[in-house]
Amino acid sequence: MLAKILVVDDEPDLQLMISQKFRKQVRDNELYFTYAKSGVEALQKLREDGEMDVVLTDINMPEMDGLTLLAKLNEQYPLIKAVIVSAYGDMANIRMALNRGAFDFVTKPIDFDDLEATLKKTILQALTFKQAVKDRDQLVAIQQELEVARKIQQSIVPRRFPPFPDRKEFEIHATMIPAQNVGGDFYDFFLIDDDRLGFVIGDVAGKGVPAALFMAVSKTLLKATALKGLPPEECLQQVNRILYMESVAAMFVTIFYGILDTRSGELHYCNGGHNPPYLLRADGQIEALELTGGIVLGAMKNSAYKAKKIVLQSGEGIFLFTDGVTEAMDRAGELFSETRLEDNLKGKPDVSLSQLMQSVIEAVNAYSTGVPQADDITILALRFLGMRA
Amino acid sequence: MEITQTRHGDVVVLALNGRLDAHTAPQAEAPLLAPIEQGAKQLLVDFSRVDYISSAGLRVLLVAARTISENDGKIVLCGLKPAIKSVFDIAGFSSIFPIFASQQEAFNHFMK
Repeated sequence: MLAKILVVDDEPDLQLMISQKFRKQVRDNELYFTYAKSGVEALQKLREDGEMDVVLTDINMPEMDGLTLLAKLNEQYPLIKAVIVSAYGDMANIRMALNRGAFDFVTKPIDFDDLEATLKKTILQALTFKQAVKDRDQLVAIQQELEVARKIQQSIVPRRFPPFPDRKEFEIHATMIPAQNVGGDFYDFFLIDDDRLGFVIGDVAGKGVPAALFMAVSKTLLKATALKGLPPEECLQQVNRILYMESVAAMFVTIFYGILDTRSGELHYCNGGHNPPYLLRADGQIEALELTGGIVLGAMKNSAYKAKKIVLQSGEGIFLFTDGVTEAMDRAGELFSETRLEDNLKGKPDVSLSQLMQSVIEAVNAYSTGVPQADDITILALRFLGMRA
Repeated sequence: MEITQTRHGDVVVLALNGRLDAHTAPQAEAPLLAPIEQGAKQLLVDFSRVDYISSAGLRVLLVAARTISENDGKIVLCGLKPAIKSVFDIAGFSSIFPIFASQQEAFNHFMK
């Protein structure tokens, strides 16, 4: 990598000696030297070429001396490393130069082997520092992009509640809190036709950007397939086949998909490897929903899925969540667990779903105070109100 | 996560010790795949000293299962604690991997 050095000295002999001593490195494009006769001219050169790595400067010069130049360099070009050339034994000036941020010094008469070693070390430092700054800027740019990605991801799931203000026969609420900027969880819901509400929760294996990309594909694919009006088991079968073909590095996603008949409360559902949701009874009792035994989607080519049917009575609901809820940890590494979740869901048949969800999130947060969120947390809850409304 | 590899006839036995989660799963990937890449067709993964597995852990097993099936090989598991077995059941992985109570039962399966 080419390093650029600005040599500042009012006497021409240094220039002559440098061009002789470093002839080979200049020819091999390892070093590039440019020269100035004073501090003023040096600053002029730096304005013309912003890519300078090292400044080698004398102390005593007309117009602007080396110490003043050092102060200006510090202010205007903090990435440039300066080496000063001083008279042998001139400790006062050497100390002052170092205190003003000079990286190192050489003394006159110049020992060129020492100068070479000093320059080599200084260049390495300057280039390392420059690279670190570049890396930091890149990191900041990536973080900004991730923040944009977070907003996009949050906006591709329905965020407006209540989503169907004129539908009084059911209540639905959901939330998604990624552990990092973006996550692999998702939820979705949509009206397939006037009387059928499709709803889904999913959890991609892993976290961060790879999971987020797979999440976006899974969510889009599921909805596009579901809107064809297929029964849940056929829907998951089709989505699985496509995901399997797309699934690099054995990515997979758990999906629970249900269809609620908003007139009768009939609920058809099919599960692909997702943890069991809870049935919220009208009397405040809760129970785990019986699973259907399907494999996570994207894992096996020809996974077969089965659906089950239950009928929700007026006031009954279903609470779906991802394992970020039950596997939230406290400081001792203990899991929040199903038991604590169940305690938070029991006996609240008259609490609105948004309040119910809020209280669960608060309980999880309180439980894992002081521990960084390890996994994405997503919840979707649905209640059939039927004729009661 | 510690992984101990032993051999029992043609069966390569990998005994896992610790948690198989998002942190440890990437470390487990290479030791799981190494015997397969070296041509092993019968792999037994012993879970008796594993007390937690997350989806990242399941993914590593899936990678291994897919790789070994390309070589007409097979992975079986043994010694799953109830909590681990339940994770496999929910994810549907119990129908991907034959699961046995002990190493001996798994060896008997391979002998058939």
